[in-house]
Amino acid sequence: MKEWFTRWLNGDLELLEHVSDASEIPDSPREELKTKRKEFRQRIYDRPDMDSIIRAEQKGFLAIYHTIAIISCVVLIGVLLFTVAHLPRYGEENPYTMEVVERYVEHGVEETGAVNIVAGMILDYRAFDTLGESHVLFTALVCVMILLKLDKKTIRGGYLDSYYTVKQDTYFDVSKDTIIRLAGTVLVPCIVLFGIYVLLNGQNGPGGGFSGGAIMGAALIMFATAFGFDRMDRVFTEKVLSLTVFFSLSFYCFAKGYVFFTGANGLDNHIPKGIPGAILSGGLILPLDIAVGMVVACTMYGFYSLFKRGSIGGA
Amino acid sequence: MIVVTDWIVFFITAALLLSALLCFTAAVIGVYRFGFILNRIHSSGIGDSLGFLCAISAVIIATGLKMDSLKLMLLILFMWFTSPVSSHFLSQVEYYTNEHLYRYTDRIIKEESKDREKRV
Repeated sequence: MKEWFTRWLNGDLELLEHVSDASEIPDSPREELKTKRKEFRQRIYDRPDMDSIIRAEQKGFLAIYHTIAIISCVVLIGVLLFTVAHLPRYGEENPYTMEVVERYVEHGVEETGAVNIVAGMILDYRAFDTLGESHVLFTALVCVMILLKLDKKTIRGGYLDSYYTVKQDTYFDVSKDTIIRLAGTVLVPCIVLFGIYVLLNGQNGPGGGFSGGAIMGAALIMFATAFGFDRMDRVFTEKVLSLTVFFSLSFYCFAKGYVFFTGANGLDNHIPKGIPGAILSGGLILPLDIAVGMVVACTMYGFYSLFKRGSIGGA
Repeated sequence: MIVVTDWIVFFITAALLLSALLCFTAAVIGVYRFGFILNRIHSSGIGDSLGFLCAISAVIIATGLKMDSLKLMLLILFMWFTSPVSSHFLSQVEYYTNEHLYRYTDRIIKEESKDREKRV
């Protein structure tokens, strides 16, 4: 800098010096770049003392790392082989699993009040498992929201006015079509009714929260496709969705927590089991089915809406 | 007497199932062999409507008139209601996205005009 300043003072400096330098472009800039890279690599990696540096810093760490890895692998293999050697043979009666199965089959109806033993299992004996599953759905919905939801900045930035969003959406916007409107008018009530039937019949037959909720979610998607998102947004906003999911999950948590704290397996709680086979039977199974069904339906519609237009219930 | 009705039911069921098989075979061959999508939609519609009707009515006749057969009739109704809707939207998407659709329509128009000239 100082040299440059003195040269400028003495009048030696040509202001266009660097320009003339730049005019001497080498024949192939790629070749020059290659040599530069090579030099850089040599300067960094090919130092003669590099090996000794790495060795000094990492020798001890690598030794410990390798020994721990080998020991943990050998221990894991040994434990698994030991367990496999002590497993009962396939098809033989074994006390570890058959006891539980016998218990479910023989006392399931009496203890849970549900004719459908599977519903009794997943919503009474193993209710924590189902709670985790509904939370998995909830977490998936939250993750999709984080990834795909359009924020105000994106909408205001004119991103939505681009050809590929608005124009193509109007091309494929089927909600003004007469045929699909008629189909939606006829089908949506039937599908919702069928979903409610499957949902409420979970303790007496095949069905339950997950399947009924999936059917109802399909009906919601069908309605949104047939009549447009505008009509759906009048009822089913993001607030409605979040409130429904929140209250369903918290109801599940508190109801099942009450049962587990008062002694699981119906020891000392005051929830009537009803007559097995009736609609209002099975104790907590029916409300829990409804809660799970609400979560599943909201998750399915939320996925569809987020993937289709990047928001639930209006941009 | 019971044996005779059993045989009649068996033969009707077999005939219906065989015709359903024929329809589905035609539909599958059409879907794989036709080059143009509207022809493919047509051939898949054969399987969806007539083949489905034959197969489900064969099951209905085999089981007799019960609650299950009523549910199967509902299934036919559902399928006949939804399948045309989906075909309609498939063809609509093809109409909006295919830039070369005019080639096919032009060819059809030319053939029709040739036919007319022949007749005249």
